[in-house]
Amino acid sequence: MKTYFNNIIHGVTSAFEGMSITFSSLFFPAVTIQYPEVDVRSVESQRKTYNGPMMGMSPNYRGILHVDMEICTACLICMRACPIDVIAITNVKCEKEKFPGRSGKMAVKTRAATRFDIDIAKCMFCGLCVEPCPTGAIYHTNEFEMNTSTVEALVLKFVTPQEAADAEAKGKIIEAEAALKKAAKAAAAKEEVAQAPETESKGEE
Amino acid sequence: MESLFISLGLSEDLAIFITAIIVGTILIHFLAIFAGFMTWIERRLAARFQFRCGPNRVGPQGLLQWLADAVKLIIKEEIIPQGADQTMFRLAPFMTVVGVFATFVVLPWGPNWIPADLDVGLLYLISITALVVIGILMAGWASNSKWALLGGMRAAAQIVSYEIPVAMGLLPAILIAGSLSMGGLMRAQGWLPWDWIAFQNPFSMLAFLIFFVGSIAESNRVPFDLPEAESELVAGFFTEYTGFRFAAFGLAEFGNCWVVGATATAVFLGGGNLPGFLGENALISLLVFSAKTLFMIFVLVWLRWTLPRFRIDQLMEFSWKYLLPMSFVAFFGQAVFMLISWDSPMIQQVVSHAMFLGFLGLLFKFSTRVVANYKEHATPVNSRATDYVAPPVTEVEAEAAVAE
Repeated sequence: MKTYFNNIIHGVTSAFEGMSITFSSLFFPAVTIQYPEVDVRSVESQRKTYNGPMMGMSPNYRGILHVDMEICTACLICMRACPIDVIAITNVKCEKEKFPGRSGKMAVKTRAATRFDIDIAKCMFCGLCVEPCPTGAIYHTNEFEMNTSTVEALVLKFVTPQEAADAEAKGKIIEAEAALKKAAKAAAAKEEVAQAPETESKGEE
Repeated sequence: MESLFISLGLSEDLAIFITAIIVGTILIHFLAIFAGFMTWIERRLAARFQFRCGPNRVGPQGLLQWLADAVKLIIKEEIIPQGADQTMFRLAPFMTVVGVFATFVVLPWGPNWIPADLDVGLLYLISITALVVIGILMAGWASNSKWALLGGMRAAAQIVSYEIPVAMGLLPAILIAGSLSMGGLMRAQGWLPWDWIAFQNPFSMLAFLIFFVGSIAESNRVPFDLPEAESELVAGFFTEYTGFRFAAFGLAEFGNCWVVGATATAVFLGGGNLPGFLGENALISLLVFSAKTLFMIFVLVWLRWTLPRFRIDQLMEFSWKYLLPMSFVAFFGQAVFMLISWDSPMIQQVVSHAMFLGFLGLLFKFSTRVVANYKEHATPVNSRATDYVAPPVTEVEAEAAVAE
């Protein structure tokens, strides 16, 4: 009997409290950002039209990938890190360069990319390629709109065919030089090897 | 209006017939438009309760959203499932609409604005709403679908259970007014809150609450929407319906909100009574009545977005173990109170004024709770006090723990 009346009191009071909570929620502004009308990326333009609690995008928002080819060393680390083979890179040798990466750490560039493709259609925005990049060349942007008429157009190409051809031509020259040097070195080494046994045998005698 | 037609030279029967057709046309258009408008009210308010915007694209503030929805539903393909009972399947949605629309015969719009002021108005209201069950049960049975049948059976069980507390909840009002007709009930009340039947004494207040809760259950709205529980029964009795027939079910459901609000207003909240100095201005009276009804509809929506859905056994328990005994208490208490205060209007006046004062106190308590909850919610979660102490276990919870 006591439980019965307690149930009634409990039901009435909890409904009373619940209704006060829902009523108080009527006085809050809507959280919804009416997206195409509000520029989601800029905080200033949002402040003009929107007074909800959400302000601007998160700084570590994982949007569409971008590669800064100026500081990319074509080291293939991102390609290997990608779990679903979204990134495709081929590279050739280039002149040795030393420059600071995004974090200020010095990086050495010995190779240039002749192809750097990211298939955004396949990409799942996990960020595993961004983490190991030694120079910080590959990163997520705030961009999230990318409508194209074909799936092929979703493949981002960061190296133009012209650049690729130039890099390839340069690479060939460098490689030829390197091959010449190597041959010279090898010849020198051979001579050394050829001379050495003689001196050694002399010493034994 | 009848006299107008009679003066034009028509016979009395023909005049009544033409008047009935005109009034019926106006009312069914009101029902259809209000049901559409009600979907907009419901969705906008639900959005506000959840910090969203709600439909705001079609027309100013999304006001014409219901038109777009209705057009879409009407031009949709009509599908009748294999093995369904064709005639019953086609008929069922219109039975529910008729059940809701027929109540408009006795629903008042002002002190003297009632389509037909039947002497048995309340009795008619209670019995005609049972027609909705037939429509729902027909829909469930004819659909040839397990979900629909389960929903229909649940609806029948629920409406039969809640019919009794609703009727018992109306009895104290009938005792006070001494009349079953809507006009008589409204004339028994004044325009001031303490002249309303709901504030006459604690028992009539209890009866009002029982009637209101029972009516929500009868109109199958959350928290009593077991017949159409999405998580269990897809959509309940109208699972197999498409297009216009689906829209007819929606029309009945949302039109029923007006019926619940208007009945509560007319029987318990003073109807469209105006203060003496305003005389009997029909238009102002209509506005007052509509405002009260719309407030009751707001409470309906508010309750819907506050409380979660009942379980089926809780639903039955609530009706038979709680509402029904309480309605007996209300009826009996009202009768005893009338016996005591029969010869002394003084006691009646004091009790009704005290009831209204108590209500104001409750309103004040409520507003303080609203402010407290607003403040708590406005504080960002990370800046709340860290020395959080769990609230003490209430007696009910403690007993439940012991029982387990």
